[in-house]
Amino acid sequence: MTASALAEFHDELRGVARDLLAPTSPSAAGGEPVVADWRQLARAGWPGLEVPEELGGSGASLAEVAVVIEELGRAAASTPFLGAFLAVSALRLVEPSPARDELLAGLAAGDVLAAVALPTGDVDDIVSPPSGHGDGDVGDGRTPGGAAGPVGFRVERTGGSVHLVGRAPFVPDAPDADRILVVAADPPSGPVLVDVVPGSGVEVRPTPVVDATRSFAEVVADGTPVDGARCRPFAGDPQELLRRGAVAVALDAVGLAAAALDATVAYVAVRSQFGRPVGSFQAVKHACADVAVELAVSRGLVTDAVEQLVAGAPAADAAVAMAKAHAVETAVAATGTAVQLHGGIGYTWEHGLHVYLKRAALDRSLFGSPAAHRARLASRYGAAPPV
Amino acid sequence: MSDRALDDFRAEVRAWCRAHVPAGWRAAETGVPEDEFVAFQKQWFQRLRGAGYAVPHWPAEWGGGMSVPQQVVLYQELAAHDAPRLVLAFVSIHHAASTLLGAGTDEQRRRHLPAILDGEIWCQGFSEPEAGSDLAALRTTARRDGDRFVVNGQKLWASGARHADWCLLLARTDPHAPKRKGISYLLLDMRSPGIDVRPIRNALGDSHFCEVFLDDVVVPEANLVGPENAGWQVAQATLSAERGMTMLELAERLAGGFRWLLADCARPRDVGGRPVDDPVVRDRLARFETELTGLRSVCRDLVERAEAGTAGPADASIVKLYYSELLQRLTGFAAEVGGLDAHRQRSKPLSSGWESGAWVLDFVGSWEWTIPGGSSEIQRTIIGERGLGLPREPAVP
Repeated sequence: MTASALAEFHDELRGVARDLLAPTSPSAAGGEPVVADWRQLARAGWPGLEVPEELGGSGASLAEVAVVIEELGRAAASTPFLGAFLAVSALRLVEPSPARDELLAGLAAGDVLAAVALPTGDVDDIVSPPSGHGDGDVGDGRTPGGAAGPVGFRVERTGGSVHLVGRAPFVPDAPDADRILVVAADPPSGPVLVDVVPGSGVEVRPTPVVDATRSFAEVVADGTPVDGARCRPFAGDPQELLRRGAVAVALDAVGLAAAALDATVAYVAVRSQFGRPVGSFQAVKHACADVAVELAVSRGLVTDAVEQLVAGAPAADAAVAMAKAHAVETAVAATGTAVQLHGGIGYTWEHGLHVYLKRAALDRSLFGSPAAHRARLASRYGAAPPV
Repeated sequence: MSDRALDDFRAEVRAWCRAHVPAGWRAAETGVPEDEFVAFQKQWFQRLRGAGYAVPHWPAEWGGGMSVPQQVVLYQELAAHDAPRLVLAFVSIHHAASTLLGAGTDEQRRRHLPAILDGEIWCQGFSEPEAGSDLAALRTTARRDGDRFVVNGQKLWASGARHADWCLLLARTDPHAPKRKGISYLLLDMRSPGIDVRPIRNALGDSHFCEVFLDDVVVPEANLVGPENAGWQVAQATLSAERGMTMLELAERLAGGFRWLLADCARPRDVGGRPVDDPVVRDRLARFETELTGLRSVCRDLVERAEAGTAGPADASIVKLYYSELLQRLTGFAAEVGGLDAHRQRSKPLSSGWESGAWVLDFVGSWEWTIPGGSSEIQRTIIGERGLGLPREPAVP
């Protein structure tokens, strides 16, 4: 596709997304999150964007998914898209097989909901536990209750049987998932993707969060026996899942920030005090300008990060860290400024801005805090300076 | 241009820089008399011109014609090799050229663009004592007298006016029209009788800013740019686009400054080891790297959209505001992390821009970016009103 045809395709996707998502936005619904109609979104082709065409998808790239994710953020939409996106991403990183292809086709059609159990906090390595928790020991899932302990999974092979051990808190869209794809260490070989059905020994414990538009669960496996055939080795780099998770949240944050700025500009242009629109006061106008500037910079960083990921560039890792660190701070500032400049009305439940503020704050922590991403960037400073 | 061709171009620029950037110019050019500074600047300009690197952003027919990605590479390499900045020709190659190309007559272009390549120096006569942020309140008059204008008034902050051959002048030609509709844009020959230039010492002790007194100075009608009384509109149109072009280079220079900062932070201190090992310092450095990368991204985007004619009305203001405040944050942090050592009395060569590595001087000098060219407050107002469409501040009657 040529650049202009691609731009046209993106505009079309964006237009469709705005139409589909408008009724679900919190401001349209008196501050209550409305769950978007997943069937409708699936018919629009969203979960299948990156699924190959022969499996019922569009064979598109992350660049197209990016358009959709930003619009989901703009609407603060409550959908299982993040889970589906990560599931498709994970399945595309493992070797093709009939079972894998069937699941991809089901995801694309919207018939199957899936989640990926992986670390979603300040973690640099998708399967190693955080330092200070022992060397490679990820198995605290055996502890009754399994609450504390390091995050991560591993498979244990004893004789002919395979067991899954470990936990992951805050797995996006796990509560309603039909399938959980668990990223697990499989020493001495590389990590595997374990395809399990919730309830069959793998526990999915819903974790309500302040941001009511998102759905999380803790996934715990307590030495659960799993089918060895359903442990699929990665053909690609499993770390890509963390990069994709981070960039998805950064895109969501850009959408949130843009929506918050638009709403604020529209409001302060008409809200009148002291005989003139409050937006004509410099204090208000300049606060809006500051958000516009940060948003422009975030957008630049996020666009670069998506491009680098699509190109598979080695610099993608740093680009994603920068995009995530910057965009989520912009979103918190933009949504906070929106509440402030709306005054009392912005603090009401009914107005709905609280939904944006809460989602932005959650985005800040999901898939690595800004500080964690900056620490990751700074790990390059010890050796040679970046070019 | 393919990545391969761009890599080849980078290799070419790199080789050129190794051969032509004068070794030790910083030490040699520090504290030299003004005329030596001017000679050095002109010599460096000609060297760049010889390679085709002096005015890459100009149209090809006038001696430029580099693509945006090529310009980025050129500026990256000049920064990486710590080449002298074209501080003396800055207004000539950017503001004057952009005005002539955007609104000048063919004759004006033919007269001045080749002359600029030969070393003609320009300054800008916009601000006045009573017309700073409220530039349209300017009082300098240009009274029409047949086929010429007679100019009287006072200009302020005309950078480099002492060495300038020509001046971009805004003057009031219709005292009765509303303030933005009675201004004309003139090209003023600085050798005309009646001009008195007096340097002003700035906060760093340098004297490149000047006051310019104009006493019955004659400007021929042929030196009018755009229609009479439309000077404000000409200035708005030509200069806001220009703001982006200058930023392309400045952003790469700032990225070079970040590399110095990193190297500085990796140097062990007498007490407390290396700053780069402190998690607080690391977080700040990573934040700067992120902000710089974002700045470079919005700069490239702005220049590309300006060339395609799709830039938004406040995009250049976003870049100028972000650049200047990032510069201030970065130099401020560098001065802080440099400790008392950074405060040792030093001087820096005029041929460097802000970026001397003498962080305290660079920090003090950063206000030279947040105030001129539309202060940060003015930029925020432009972004709010022209970019976001917010209501204007009611005018004071």
